[in-house]
Amino acid sequence: MKLLSPIGLIFVVVATQPALAHHSFANFDLGRETMLVGTIKEVQFTNPHVWVQVMVPDGKGSQTEWSIEAGAPGMLLRTGWKPNTLKTGDAVTVVIHPAKNGDANGSLIRVTLPDGRTLGPGGPPAALKPGG
Amino acid sequence: MAHLPVPPRSFLLRLTAAALAAAMVCPLGLAAQKQRVPDIWGVWMGLGGVTDADPRFRNTPYPLEPGFTEWGAAESRRLASATTPGECNPWGPVGVMGATGLFPIQILQGPNVIVIHHEAITQPRRIYMDGRRHPSADELLPTFNGHSIARWDGDTLVVDTIGTNGRTRPLNGYVSGSVLSGVDTAPRLPASEQLHVSERIRLVGAGGYLEDVITVEDLKTYRQPWTVKHYWQRRPDIDMQEYACEDNRRPDAEGQQTTVTAPR
Repeated sequence: MKLLSPIGLIFVVVATQPALAHHSFANFDLGRETMLVGTIKEVQFTNPHVWVQVMVPDGKGSQTEWSIEAGAPGMLLRTGWKPNTLKTGDAVTVVIHPAKNGDANGSLIRVTLPDGRTLGPGGPPAALKPGG
Repeated sequence: MAHLPVPPRSFLLRLTAAALAAAMVCPLGLAAQKQRVPDIWGVWMGLGGVTDADPRFRNTPYPLEPGFTEWGAAESRRLASATTPGECNPWGPVGVMGATGLFPIQILQGPNVIVIHHEAITQPRRIYMDGRRHPSADELLPTFNGHSIARWDGDTLVVDTIGTNGRTRPLNGYVSGSVLSGVDTAPRLPASEQLHVSERIRLVGAGGYLEDVITVEDLKTYRQPWTVKHYWQRRPDIDMQEYACEDNRRPDAEGQQTTVTAPR
């Protein structure tokens, strides 16, 4: 079995807008992005927020389970997601704002699906066009 | 002395039956139309953060220098350092009408009451249209959404709200840098139990958009009133989703604890 990229790349970028209004995101470092390459363990398509559990190899033969927080189910459904968009075992690349305390948690910025599509954390949908 | 003629009992019964039948075939929506008031029934999506929205209908920003009183400034600082207390509590009348593109609202319009559901909030706003006044101070029970009454002034719905409990999240939301606040350094805008909200709601854009001019007066928190203008787009293509706020809370992974609980 081919090993996935073993490390999470960390780099500093300009903060992007979190589109998640339910609670404070002060515990996530909105000035940093971390890229994770791994496989989906579980998707909790639940309120108040959707959670994606991702297993990320550490390059030493073991894996770390990351908890990635997205927006509310309604937000995701209005921005291209379906409840079964991500399935257990899917190979994904996930970019997150990592937890400030160094835990394996983060808020979702974007996820690249096995078919190459990229989805965000949920947010404002496109406006309704005339006749749309 | 002459007596007025008494109608036969059968006539009165027929009259009562006719009145009852008329009431039964006249649903609330039809009654509203008969009064020739604007039809605001339906699902509306706020335009805050909607990047391709019609530029005529952009929310005005919340004030960055709202003129805090001493208490208001201290409360704003306290809320900025708080980790979302009571995050599943109702957001209050200003929060419901925040008009972000994150959650839709659904307006149910009857002739004597207008009910506004916000997708992320379990408690609806009930706006009474039956001519009642606010309860007197000794009968007014402070609540998250307060007590709202309204009347139509031409094509504008004029709403007046008092009786809030001062325990909602900030009027401009919690998220620093979000579509609510605009910039990271935006102050949290608290409200006290003295909050008085005046709204002027009307259809614009050929009925495809809803405008709400919201004036916040709270002399315990702000030295003078301030006003924002919010917009929604009519969205018959969107269904409201369930939002069970207490279902899958994850304070563990939101960074407030260090262990990850097993998924349910």
